[in-house]
Amino acid sequence: MIRALFVMIGGVLLLASAARGLAPLELPGVARVGDRPKPNAVVWLESSVASLPETVKVVLDQRNLAFSPHVLAVRVGTTVEFPNNDRVFHNVFSFHDGKRFDLGMYPVGTVKNVTFGRQGLSRIFCNIHPNMAAYVMAVESGHFAVSDSSGRFLIAAVPPGTYTYHAWHPGGPTLTGSATVDGERPLEIRWP
Amino acid sequence: MKRAVLVVLLTAVVHASPARGQSLTAEADVTVGYSTDDVTAVATQLRAFGDLKAGVRFYLESAWARHSGEESDAFAGAYPYGGHLDVIETYGERLFMPGKSLIAVRGGRYRTPFGIAGRGDHAYSGFLRSPLIRYDDYFALSNTFLEHGVDVIVGVPQLYVETSLGVPADVGDEKRRSGFDRVFRVQGYRGQWIVGVSHIRTRPNQPESFAHGRAEFTGIDVRWMHEGVLVRGEWITGQPFDGTTTDGWYADLMLHRVAMGPVTAVLRAEQLNYNTIAQFAIHTTRLTVGAKIRLPRGLTAQVNLNRQSGNRPAYRSTPLDLALTYSIRLH
Repeated sequence: MIRALFVMIGGVLLLASAARGLAPLELPGVARVGDRPKPNAVVWLESSVASLPETVKVVLDQRNLAFSPHVLAVRVGTTVEFPNNDRVFHNVFSFHDGKRFDLGMYPVGTVKNVTFGRQGLSRIFCNIHPNMAAYVMAVESGHFAVSDSSGRFLIAAVPPGTYTYHAWHPGGPTLTGSATVDGERPLEIRWP
Repeated sequence: MKRAVLVVLLTAVVHASPARGQSLTAEADVTVGYSTDDVTAVATQLRAFGDLKAGVRFYLESAWARHSGEESDAFAGAYPYGGHLDVIETYGERLFMPGKSLIAVRGGRYRTPFGIAGRGDHAYSGFLRSPLIRYDDYFALSNTFLEHGVDVIVGVPQLYVETSLGVPADVGDEKRRSGFDRVFRVQGYRGQWIVGVSHIRTRPNQPESFAHGRAEFTGIDVRWMHEGVLVRGEWITGQPFDGTTTDGWYADLMLHRVAMGPVTAVLRAEQLNYNTIAQFAIHTTRLTVGAKIRLPRGLTAQVNLNRQSGNRPAYRSTPLDLALTYSIRLH
């Protein structure tokens, strides 16, 4: 009887351990340029997106003559809303790499949408206000994050394992490296 | 008032920091220009804007500009060039969007909301001169007309009514006389079209000794855009003061196609008629072809070639205007 109990407890612990090994984990990290924290860095892991759920609504706001956020990371196939929350007209366009479009002028309270259908960086501008600029990085991955003002980021719900990561920030090169997701080691990204 | 605004602007420029995000943004533009109208110009604008408490936003702008010529409208697209330091706009505003409705309230000093009137519509848009019907010396409206008052928008984003009640607060050499004035505007937006109808009743900007009565204008403005092609224009008619009339129009084509990269090509055709006794009447037309080129590091180059005809005083028939602007934003 006691022996059977020990076998049962051992089995439960073994199963729990195995389940913990497969459960998605969070991958925290920090991005730096030299020793300085780097905000607005995009970090993504190479992974399949086939089994991921539908993308959520993503907004790149226009408010106070600025795009918000300044850097946006999305999965390939995501439709981004560009609402105009200023009383003046805006004219969002992107003519360089990545998605190329020109939304034309539209007034306060209205929204236009753009679907980012392929991987790459899109530089977003307003043709009326030269100081408005933003970046949209479309990635073939469901695991990505943008660093905050202290350079920290958190990639959620990553199955444990070893991945190839890529990292980019405005004006910088794309870094590539290896990241192990085990619930213990944070990912440190450092540009020289 | 002017000193207080300048202190705030300079403080904003010095203390703006990334940690404050969008709560405070400061920016500056510096422009140098040359026209074969024998005009050289230098201009600078300082702006600060952002959020205050309870959803109220603020906007401050000051400008200084000077040009060497007395008898040309070159570079007077949206700012005066009198060599004075001027407060342009100073206002607070609040937007409400209950359901699908739009309500906006603005109070302070702001550009007269008649027709295509925004700073971004006329400054650094690719045109280095204001339209003839929006230059203060031609007995019509002016892009340097400002209001001290309250402006309210009510409607939905696709169709709203804007009402401004206040007193003139113009900058530049031509200032309207003081007194109550009002502006009404209806704007509709659908698909690729934006259409507006505006009406203003205000005081003349000419001396009272010969300009009696009220200045009153009605205008229609239209914008159409499709895949980097923008066509826009305005037509106005009215009287600058009793016994005279002014009418005119301009039509702009602005091309900014994907293959054009940083270049926006611009084309403007326009006409102005100031109808009074023959000795003082003005009947003039102008054709402008040009480009705006976004260069790296915050620089924008603009070039305009103008072809003018008519009896507008003191002009050359084919002036060439060139300008280079440096823009910087400090968050």
